[in-house]
Amino acid sequence: MRSLIRKHRLWKTTIAQAALLALALVFCAPFIWMLSTSLKTPDHIQSDSTDPIPKAWFLDYHGQRVRVRPLRRRRGRLEAQIRSGPYRGRTLLVRPGRIHNGVYLDWRNYKKGFEEFPFLRYLWNTLVICGLSVLGTVLSCSLVAYGLACVEWSGREALFWVMLCTMMIPGQVTMIPLFILFKNLGWINTILPLVVPTFLGNAFFIFLLRQFYRTIPPSLLEAARIDGGGDLRIWARIILPLSKPALLIVALFTFINSWNDFLNPLIYLLNDRKYTLSIGLTMFQGQYNSDWGPMMAMSLIMSLPIIILFFLTQKTFIQGVKLTGVKG
Amino acid sequence: MKHFRPTSPFHRWPVGVAFCLPLIAGLAMFTAFPVGMSLYYSLCSYPIFSPPRLIGLRNYQELAGDPRFWLSVWNTFYYAMVAVPLGMVVGLLLALLLNLKIKGLAFYRTLFFLPTVVPLVASCVLWNQILNPQQGLINEFLRFLGLPAAWLPGWLTSVTWSKPALILMSLWGCGGGMVLYLAALQDVPQELYEAAALDGARAWHRLRHVALPMISPVLLFTLIMGLIGAVQIFAQAFIMTNGGPADSTLFYSLKLFNTAFTEYRLGYASAMAWVMFVLILLATLGVMKLSNRFVYYHS
Repeated sequence: MRSLIRKHRLWKTTIAQAALLALALVFCAPFIWMLSTSLKTPDHIQSDSTDPIPKAWFLDYHGQRVRVRPLRRRRGRLEAQIRSGPYRGRTLLVRPGRIHNGVYLDWRNYKKGFEEFPFLRYLWNTLVICGLSVLGTVLSCSLVAYGLACVEWSGREALFWVMLCTMMIPGQVTMIPLFILFKNLGWINTILPLVVPTFLGNAFFIFLLRQFYRTIPPSLLEAARIDGGGDLRIWARIILPLSKPALLIVALFTFINSWNDFLNPLIYLLNDRKYTLSIGLTMFQGQYNSDWGPMMAMSLIMSLPIIILFFLTQKTFIQGVKLTGVKG
Repeated sequence: MKHFRPTSPFHRWPVGVAFCLPLIAGLAMFTAFPVGMSLYYSLCSYPIFSPPRLIGLRNYQELAGDPRFWLSVWNTFYYAMVAVPLGMVVGLLLALLLNLKIKGLAFYRTLFFLPTVVPLVASCVLWNQILNPQQGLINEFLRFLGLPAAWLPGWLTSVTWSKPALILMSLWGCGGGMVLYLAALQDVPQELYEAAALDGARAWHRLRHVALPMISPVLLFTLIMGLIGAVQIFAQAFIMTNGGPADSTLFYSLKLFNTAFTEYRLGYASAMAWVMFVLILLATLGVMKLSNRFVYYHS
């Protein structure tokens, strides 16, 4: 009986493993496609867009292996142009059998991308906005959460509930009046509309931090108060160090949100010197829609920092998703 | 003589208010004020370069007779109604598979979650090519399966297939829900399964009558958050299709954005925003009310 159950379990896990492996492949395919397309020559993208391994055509010519580009067939022979080495540019007529396929990584997509796309400037613009947003959000949210969780005063519950209710309001409702407000302040085409609001708290993260601060024993705060510590001191010396894991979650999610933000930079940043990576990549796609290699290269370059950040902070990240219920 | 206790609520309110000042200022400036102004603008004719002029409910009347508005409502409804439940089902399926105590759980969890951290703009650019009817990954795969060329979907170039294409793309990001479902499944006490098994419940019944009720609060939460998110879908349509072909991906937010920032009809756009707000509220309340019958809260 027991061995029967074990056999049944073995079957079950084997099927589950097979299903997971297949699903993993499906989920991976877009990443593999992005990487391999970014390294393919335009010819290879045209001729074999699903080949995961970037390849090119090669030919032995005067004892050297040179890359060629097949142009057309002529009387059973292939006209091909040499694309590398000292004979670059020369056109030959060869037997089709002489040309063979080989692995070839074409880094020119990246070179072209970086030339056409002012990556470093957009990166800098994005990092400035991300950095200030993280600073503003962490600072303001932890101060407010302290005021809501660790200071007893009448009205804090009411304020908390008002804050929760405002989370229901979709951004589209406030979008237009805020645009007018920032226009009247002369803030259009500056980073201020993207950054200043982060210094005035974020309902979602205040909620998260308040839950965390309520788990800090009141006796600890009481003792600090009796020792003569002011509230600001208690916040800085006790609460901040204690809540490091929660603050890390807030910082991480804020960083990723503002790195990925699309709508706000689209509304407020009008000049291509001010663009973030999101907006820059959108404009790049508008201009080079048919040039797949550089597009994939730039998408990859934009995603890579976030993917690396995710791998470095995976534990915190997954913890944050479980706590807040939404991804970054 | 009257004693002030140091922890008396009345004594400490200036401190509390001082700490909450950023929130109070933020709520006033970036929520209360714009919400009020938005309601006012929605009753105005407001071409951006001249001041708003009150016209009563005319914007709302015009909305009621605007076929492109209704089309955008339909497109958004279609997308939300298919993408959200389908994403939940796939996410739940992944979580159930991972909950079978198989090897490499952390690896698979990371892998399925990874697409959700890819910047939206980057995944739009990527999927624009994956969905390309001639050389895209999906149609190449369908061709490999032997589908005749005439049957291959045109995806983003076809009126019929453009919304399913975006839904397919949204499924790639179902790992966020999976992480939550998996965490909830792991919290279900083992004794419940054992008790059910002793009562002769088979795997399907254990899922239907033990696991699903136990994680139903999480399902409800992801349903509501997913609906709110899906109703506001914007970047995909803006970047990949710009609403086309033939307005088949003209979603509500895209129509609102175009009305505000390309047609400069701020009053009309504000009216759209308010209709959206009311629709989201109604949908949320509706789901909550329905959920009373299905959601089981154990505390």
